[in-house]
Formats: sequence, structure tokens, C-alpha cells
Amino acid sequence: MSRKSSPFANLFLVIIFFVLYAPIFYLIFYSFNSGGTMSGFEGFTLDWYKELFSDTRLLIIVLNTVVIALLSALISTIIGVFGAIGIREMKRKRNQNSILGLNNVLIVSPDVIIGASFLILFTMAGIQLGFYSVLLSHIAFSIPIVVLMVLPKLMEMSPSLIDAARDLGASRWNVLTKVILPYITPGIFAGFFMALTYSLDDFAVTFFVTGNGFSTLSVEIYSLARQGISLNINALSALIFLVTVVLVIVYYYISRRAGNQGMGGMRR
Amino acid sequence: MKNLIQAFLAVLVVSIVCLIAINRLNASAGYSGTNTLTVYNWGDYIDEEVIDQFEEETGITVIYETFDSNEAMMTKIQQGGTTYDVAVPSEYMVQKMMEEDLLIELDHSKLPNLKNIDERFMDLAFDPGNKFSVPYFWGTVGIVFNTKMLPDMNFKSWDDLWDPELKNDILLVDGAREVIGMGLNSLGYSLNDTNKVHLQEAQDKLNTLTPNIKAIVGDENKLLMANGEAPVALVWSGDASEIMFENEDLDYSVPEEGSNLWFDNMVIPKTAKNIDGAHQFINFMLDAEVAAQNTEYVSYSTPNKEALKYMPEEMVNDERFYPSPELTDKLEVYDNLGKKNLAYYNELFLEFKMYRK
Repeated sequence: MSRKSSPFANLFLVIIFFVLYAPIFYLIFYSFNSGGTMSGFEGFTLDWYKELFSDTRLLIIVLNTVVIALLSALISTIIGVFGAIGIREMKRKRNQNSILGLNNVLIVSPDVIIGASFLILFTMAGIQLGFYSVLLSHIAFSIPIVVLMVLPKLMEMSPSLIDAARDLGASRWNVLTKVILPYITPGIFAGFFMALTYSLDDFAVTFFVTGNGFSTLSVEIYSLARQGISLNINALSALIFLVTVVLVIVYYYISRRAGNQGMGGMRR
Repeated sequence: MKNLIQAFLAVLVVSIVCLIAINRLNASAGYSGTNTLTVYNWGDYIDEEVIDQFEEETGITVIYETFDSNEAMMTKIQQGGTTYDVAVPSEYMVQKMMEEDLLIELDHSKLPNLKNIDERFMDLAFDPGNKFSVPYFWGTVGIVFNTKMLPDMNFKSWDDLWDPELKNDILLVDGAREVIGMGLNSLGYSLNDTNKVHLQEAQDKLNTLTPNIKAIVGDENKLLMANGEAPVALVWSGDASEIMFENEDLDYSVPEEGSNLWFDNMVIPKTAKNIDGAHQFINFMLDAEVAAQNTEYVSYSTPNKEALKYMPEEMVNDERFYPSPELTDKLEVYDNLGKKNLAYYNELFLEFKMYRK
């Protein structure tokens, strides 16, 4: 196992990472371009960042995107975790599999179809398109992802842990909060962050359900395509990239802490 | 457990802070007031200063939303659940929306500035009498080419595209009506021709063009041309003016046999809440000085005759975007051909795409 990887493999890794990150850095590089386009670098400037922060409409859209992502991830995580626990508790294997199957269908079905059906549903139900319609649809498509992230952790947990807890006199509530939830914490965080990223970059579903002055970043950037995208979008992308990097670091920090406690979570 | 609760509380706090920030921003921009007007337009298709000016003059707050295709826009309006007061569809979509009964008839007495519009662009086949729509911008379909890569060509005629020297050089736009239309135009037929013999001739002629075609692409042809990846492309004039701004080696030409004339139009959808404000907005956009300022920003061609007086001369005198009357007479607006003929166009286009060199 301790065999060193060959230099060739390392080189391959470097090349792959270069290819993956080059477009992003190219984009960020041009966000400092004083020329108006991405066809030639003329000089360093922070004008695009200034323009970005003076564009109230764009800032509102960015904040909308963040709020929707955070809230939908939070709510779908809560629902998804209970869903996963429910699926595990099912007595009959066949029911469990069919529910899981239904869950997976929602993950693989195309976003466009989900989006269109949400549009039809919301207009039929008389819900105005806007903040709530976007939030609801994001929660809906995030739940299956959370379930899928949490379930393996639950399945891995030995049933004797719960039996032991019950034998020691733990109530149902105690079992849930002191045994199950601490054990699956890494899975919950994984689910939360997955839901977060899904919500942030979803275009297809969001496009159908935005309206009445409420819009998110993906929809807005997409609609700029006809006129060509201004460099303040580059500046915005640079900032969002930074935030994502911070988020990933936070995620690792949390999951390491949660991982270390692992079984130790029982103490609390 | 403590971890989880802490993390979730943190998320909640951040969301609430963001929500408060949104509210503040909304209030500072005046979006939360009652006197609002929702405008649904293409992305970056208006000068924001014009909107500010309108808000100042009328006290109406404009909520500006954007879409990226006619079809997408129509779907949103058709389904309801939105309150768009003004939308900007292209001409064929105006017709479709009229047929689907999605538009409100315009009250011309509230649009005194309508007189500024060039008569050539009024009362066209897609909306007789301009009952439902007012032209916002117009343009043509033509050829954009790189003068550095092709120093001695000027594309005054569609037939120049058939030059054997252009082997594997041409980018076509992926639109049945544009490409088949080019074939029809090059033979001297109308763009709206439904005569099967003529259409077959056009397709035969297009098939002989295949050795010259590099690719049939969508919006990415702008990027390819701007970066000098190809020397010639069939494009809409709006796209052309935009990439010519980015790459100075590019030039644009509308062949003299004629071409397509397209419009983007302001309409009031059935979903509108503020019909009075919508009229005010349309009338404001038709104002000569406002239209001039907006045109300078968007750089498409304006149908506003009076606005030309306020615009820089080199823009107005640019025959590539404000073609001479002789050429304009040959430009045609697409008619609605009906489902059957349109399907035939699409079929021909598909066959052409599959034709092997």
C-alpha cells in the first residue's frame, strides 16, 4: 500500500487539475481587464468590481440566490434526514426498495421536465411565481439528494447500537438525538452541502418558476447571452469562486470534526 | 447533536441577514412600492440610465426581468402566475401571441410618440395597424466577414459565399428560415416562398454550398468570429454589430439580392397589472432622445426616425446597419407560413444538414 505513485501518475493529476481550473482562472484574470472584452488584456483595473457593487439589481439577485440556496438546503436536509430514517425503519424490504426507487427516479429525471411540471403545478394551484415558488421547488429537488447522502450512513450503523440504547432505558427521542443523529452527522453535512450546490447552480428548474421580479443568478446570466456577457459577471464569478472555496474549507473542517467525534458523539 | 444545531442556527442567521439585506436594497431601489411596472426584456437590451430617467419622470418603479428566448418568454406569459406589464418579443412571436390571445390591444391615443417611428416599419404583415405591438429595434440577416483573412472579398452578393476559395470557411446559423431563406434569396425568390419547386431549387443550390461550410452553430458563432476562428458567418445584424465592436477586422454586409428584416417589439401581455404605466413606458421609449440614447447603448438599429437626429453621424450613416432605401425595399419580414409549410422548411433544412459533401 505504501508504494509510491509513479511520477507519470502525478503529472497526469497535475494536467487534469490544470485543465479543470484553467477556465476559472482565465475568467478571473479577465475580471481585472481594463479593456471591455475578453479578447485582449489591456491593463489592470478594479472597475468591474466597483460596477458590480453599484449594481443594486445584480446584488439583489446574488443575495436571492444565496438565501434560496441556504434555506432550501436547510429545509430539505431536515425533511430528507427524517425521510431516510423512515426508509430505514421500514419493516418490509420490498417497500423500502420501492420507496428508494421512487427517490432515485426524481434524481435522474431531467430538470427541464421537473421545472415544467412545477410551473404547471404552481399556476394551477394559483401560487404566484416568485420567492416561494423557487424555494419550494428547490426544496423538492434537493430532498432526494439528501436522502441518498444520509441513507448509507444509516445503513452502516449497527442496529445493536439502538437496541443497546433502548435496553439502557433511552426514550425514542433520546435514541434519535443521542444515538442516531450524532452517528449520521457527517452524512447530514454532506447532504446539506450537496443540496446547497444543487440549488446554487440549478438553471433549468429555476428558470420555469422565477417571476414577478424575483430572479436568481443562473437565470440572469443565461439571459445575458444574447448581448454578450459583461466583465462584471467575471468579477462576480471570481467572488463566488472565492466563497465556494471558503465553503469547501468549512465543509472539510466540519466533517473532520464530526468524523473525529464519530462514535464519541454518544457522550453528549 | 450540538454540532448540528449550531450549524443549522448559523445557516438560519445568515439567511435572515441576507433577507434583511435584500429588503434594504429593495427599499433603496424602491422596488417594494405599490406603483411598479414589470418589464420583461432580453438580457442587457436596454440602457439602465433610461430606466432611471423614466422612474424619475413618472414616479413609477420599474422591475426589470430578462429572458433568453422568445419561446421561453411566451411560456412564462402563457402559464400566468406572473405580472409582466411590457414584454419584447420578436415579430413572429408577436403573431403567435396574438393568435393565442395573450396580448392587450394598444391604446394609440396614449402613445403620441408613435409618430416618431419610421413609416417603413409601421403597419407590417405580422401586426396590421400596429394594434398590438410597437417596434423596438430592427435588423437584418447578413454576412459578417474578417477583412484580414479575406482581404479581397466584400460579399455584395449571396453568390460570393459559393466561391470555391472559401472551402471549409463558412459558419451558418442553426435556423431553418435563415438558411433556406438565404438559398431562396440567392435565386431571387421571396423569403416567404412556399412553392415546392422553388424550395427544391433552393435546397439543391444550398447542397452545393456544403464544401464551404465549416459548421452550423448557434450563438457560439459570435465568439468564433470574434476570435478569428472562421472568416465568414451568416448572422443577424445585432450580433454582427456586437462582435465588430470586439474585433475591428470584422465587417458586415447585407447582400443586394435582399434578405430578412426582423423586429423586436414592445407589447402589453394579458397578464399586465399596470396597463396605464405600460403605455407610459412604451411612449417614453418612443421619445426621440430616449430612443437615441438607448440605441447608442444597445447598438442595434432603431426604427425611430426622429431619434436618428440625436445620434452620432457615423452611426446613422453606417449603411451596414441603416441600409439605403433601395436595399430596404428588398428586405422582407418573415410571414407566418403556417404549420405545414414551416414543417416543410424544417425538413428541407434537416436534409441539407445531413447532406454529405
